[in-house]
Amino acid sequence: MDLDTLLSYKWGAMAPEFIILGASVLLSLLDLFLPKTYKRNSLAWFALAGVILALISLGTLISGGTVSILNNTFRLDSFSIAFKFILLLGSALVILIAHSYQPKEGFRAFRGEFYYLFLTGLLGAMFMASSGDLITLFVGLELLSVSSYILAGMRKTSQESNEAAMKYVINGGIATAITLFGMSYLYGLSGTTNISEMAKIMSGQAAEHQYLYLYGLAFFMVLIGLSFKIAAAPFHMWAPDVYQGSPTPVASYLSVISKTAGFILLLRLILTLFLTIPGDKADLSFLEQNSTYIGCLAGITIIAGNVAALRQRNIKRMFAYSSIAQAGYILAGITALGYFTFDAVWFYLLAYVFMNLGAFAVIQLMTDQSNSGDISEFAGLYRRSPVAALSFSIFLLSLAGIPGTAGFIGKLTIFMNTLMTEPGHFLLASLMIAGTVISYFYYFGIMVQMFFRPQAAEGRVVLPAGIGAVVMIALAGTLILGLAPNSAFTFLHHNFGSFNDFLK
Amino acid sequence: MLDKGDEDAMMEIAWIIPLFPLLSFLLLLAAGRVLKEKSAYIGILLTLCSFLFSVLVLWGRIRGDTYKAEADWLNIGEAHIKAGFEVNQLNALMLVIVSLVSFLVHLYSKGYMQREDRLPVFYAYLGLFTFAMLGLVISPNLLQLYIFWELVGLGSFLLIGFYFYKEEAKAAAKKAFIMTRIGDVGLFIGMILLFWKTGSFDFQVIFQEVEGGGITQSMITLTAILIFIGAMGKSGQFPLHTWLPDAMEGPTPVSALIHAATMVAAGVYLVAAMYPLFLASTSAMLIVASIGGLTAIFAASIGLVQRDIKRILAYSTVSQLGYMMLALGTGGYTAGVFHLMTHAFFKALLFLAAGSVIHAVHTQDVEEMGGLWKKLRITGPVFLIGTLAISGVPLFSGFFSKDEILSSAWENGNYVLFGLAVIAAFFTAFYMFRLFFLVFSGRLKKQGVLVHESPRSMTFPMIILAVLAVISGYINTPWFGTFLGSWLTEGNPYLEPEHRSGPVWIMGAATLVSLAGIALAYLIYRRNSISREWLGGEGSFLHTVLYNKYYVDEFYQGTIVWLTGFVSIFLSYIDRFIVEGLVNGIAASIHKLGRLLSRFQTGQTQHYGAIAFLGLAVLVIIFALTGGMFG
Repeated sequence: MDLDTLLSYKWGAMAPEFIILGASVLLSLLDLFLPKTYKRNSLAWFALAGVILALISLGTLISGGTVSILNNTFRLDSFSIAFKFILLLGSALVILIAHSYQPKEGFRAFRGEFYYLFLTGLLGAMFMASSGDLITLFVGLELLSVSSYILAGMRKTSQESNEAAMKYVINGGIATAITLFGMSYLYGLSGTTNISEMAKIMSGQAAEHQYLYLYGLAFFMVLIGLSFKIAAAPFHMWAPDVYQGSPTPVASYLSVISKTAGFILLLRLILTLFLTIPGDKADLSFLEQNSTYIGCLAGITIIAGNVAALRQRNIKRMFAYSSIAQAGYILAGITALGYFTFDAVWFYLLAYVFMNLGAFAVIQLMTDQSNSGDISEFAGLYRRSPVAALSFSIFLLSLAGIPGTAGFIGKLTIFMNTLMTEPGHFLLASLMIAGTVISYFYYFGIMVQMFFRPQAAEGRVVLPAGIGAVVMIALAGTLILGLAPNSAFTFLHHNFGSFNDFLK
Repeated sequence: MLDKGDEDAMMEIAWIIPLFPLLSFLLLLAAGRVLKEKSAYIGILLTLCSFLFSVLVLWGRIRGDTYKAEADWLNIGEAHIKAGFEVNQLNALMLVIVSLVSFLVHLYSKGYMQREDRLPVFYAYLGLFTFAMLGLVISPNLLQLYIFWELVGLGSFLLIGFYFYKEEAKAAAKKAFIMTRIGDVGLFIGMILLFWKTGSFDFQVIFQEVEGGGITQSMITLTAILIFIGAMGKSGQFPLHTWLPDAMEGPTPVSALIHAATMVAAGVYLVAAMYPLFLASTSAMLIVASIGGLTAIFAASIGLVQRDIKRILAYSTVSQLGYMMLALGTGGYTAGVFHLMTHAFFKALLFLAAGSVIHAVHTQDVEEMGGLWKKLRITGPVFLIGTLAISGVPLFSGFFSKDEILSSAWENGNYVLFGLAVIAAFFTAFYMFRLFFLVFSGRLKKQGVLVHESPRSMTFPMIILAVLAVISGYINTPWFGTFLGSWLTEGNPYLEPEHRSGPVWIMGAATLVSLAGIALAYLIYRRNSISREWLGGEGSFLHTVLYNKYYVDEFYQGTIVWLTGFVSIFLSYIDRFIVEGLVNGIAASIHKLGRLLSRFQTGQTQHYGAIAFLGLAVLVIIFALTGGMFG
């Protein structure tokens, strides 16, 4: 490959990635050379500017059509743009949350590191969204994972944070190993790492019956490996320990950005490959034939997350289980594979960015100063800060799927998706509803604390600028998506069509 | 005279009706701390606006045609879901009922809640609730209805739990929310299934599909039952009724609003609004009728032994809602809607009057009350009017609507349900007059209380409702014409214009039964009392009855007391241990599962990895055994 070939690529397709990379490198240099006394907190604005710039450049790419560069390893299609949009939006909010993070000890000295590691992780996630090749995909995945391991242990003097990082890295290693093993099967079967070529070769092979079992092995290993990233059964158990121990901005990052990245990967890999391989029964693809397995995992995830959340007293643990349950709902949407699966998953993830990050902003506000994180700290919040209490309630209502909020529309679309396919997934739909009903208990438990209990502590709670901004943006997002959901769907359809270029 | 354009103009602005209470909610939320007691005026004024507009809209609908306006709200894939509003006969009527009762409750609360520090919050919640209920009523499609349906649940959660420092109130609020949610799940699934089969949430489209045979018969029955489950939760039908009596922990005006005219009526409204769907399935109709009949008698018999004034009214509400369902299930569309309306007025009246009594004597135990007739010169008579109306005494509104229901059950040919309804009518008359006599006759048993009549802001709404409790029956009578019935069914292709007069003897029998109930209550709860002057002109009739008192009393002691006592204790045990037990059992098993799951959550990272491997192994083994190369 000579220089001319390199220059002939449309590098502009990677502009958002370059911006994030640049911001990250600059931040690490700044952190290195700035005097020790300098308050690293203002670096947040630099990181935020980078993310916003990336968002803008992403916006300019929308109309550019599908671009594939570097030997088809990097793809910029409507799918990747739509999901990168969610990643960048979520990242902007997480940076704002991190800006207001003021724990008692163990974070100040490493604040600079936080921002550039965070951007590195984001870069990995964006590459995952755009990868057309197993190699780029895996590199993106590892970039995200390795940054996350360090981020989880950011509070280096805190034993909890160290424990979280340790558990995360070990479980993450296992998950990566499983995923990689699954990918090696895919490579072994097709002889290529390029996903679209792989799909072509494999759909040719599938007529031969003995390959199916190997496909199955690969499918399950990739699925289980990725269930770690999205925190779904059976690889969900790390989440409560890690969320509880990590700094709150990191927990919110894991629950939103990292999870979204996991879903992107899952959609990309499973839908491109396994949806095109014909199964051994007529007219059904391999995935359609075996979607029951995803459905089972979704069902178990929903039940496990919701039921375990009932018993939690620690707010971050409860939200870890809640985010497990939410992953289950999205998996249910993927199981059904209706004609609007993409729309449903995209919308749910967008709604989830708003409601979950909004909730995490308030959680951080309340748990910052005390290390306990017990739910009782929320007691009487309504009297200490009506704004925080009311907006937190709206986030909770949205997570619970009460009408009028984004969460309801998200659940509704997924629900319609599960019931309106042939055959309808009735069992999964009822599990989803049962899970939702169970979730009322713990979400409402928090609301009862905030409104119906005497105050836990004296004094008004003041929202710092970063938290205030996140809460307001998230609130607006949750309500707008809930009351005028068409705004998001129109945006999606107008700019991305029906993801027609996904498989091309 | 108005021309056609004016009528449409009236209905075009129907969307504004729910917005007034919403505005009240938002205003009070934002400025409640500044406004303090003045909050009440904002709430009262804005709901009054709602009421006035509702009357205009009703007038417009009476003179004009059904009006509907909607726009695209959500496009997913091929599906276009609309949002908007509709004014038809049923919901124009509901708008007036809801906004009127809400307005009166707002007014009443000004007096009742005057010493409450959190008055602005209370009025804000009232506004939210009223908004949700009015929004529910004008929804033109199921999805929109469902959204407001949930909001109603949320509003009631806040209102019932208003006295959050009381453990019981908190528990009751939670229970109300979650019990009704169980019903909502049914509604939600039914709604999605209908959407799947018809491609629309719109009522009219669904009805057309149902009529045109676009849906299989079994699917019609299934969806109708699922939707009815939703109605059961909201309208407190057996076995999802247990939240309703507990919800009496909320402030009394709330009980009048939620448990008389609005939220509990929403279930009945839902069945009425989806009526063509129910009509298409005889088994669904039978289920509606049976659950309704069962609930009517079940709750009425429990009402016989309660001591708490509000709980008696609560069980009575459950029982009356059962009546309405019975009416709808036996094909009495007009009867059900008619009773919904009259009940809204007289039950709101009874709750408000009960509130006035509680306000005066500071107890809710009827055994501690007595002799209030003379002290409460307004509350007493209006309470009597309410009691007469609910008991079905001739010339009061309840008489006409109950007669309509009984006729409908009779004509349907379901004599068992008819019998149940008649017995329930007897029970109703009995326990209501037991309540009345215990509270108002005899002597006050609780000492050291200075009893005084409530302020005017409380008595005024009661008087209005008392007037309505008398006259609202006359819009649909066998004597002066069935205006309501013919108007409700007019132009509706799914409902035949009905004129249900029923055999004349039903009216006579109903009267006799309710009089018997009253007489029995009189003999038991009034006979031993000392001051009898309040009855005024007791003459020879009374003397004759007194002559036989011993015999009747003995008879009652020997048989009915024993029997009804036994039955009602038995039923309350069923209520407490089986229904509650089942609900608690489910909750407990979920908690157990939670404990089991957290046992896996050891904190040992190797276990987490092991479980992931185990999961992988299980999946691969299942795959190997069922599909793939071994398939």
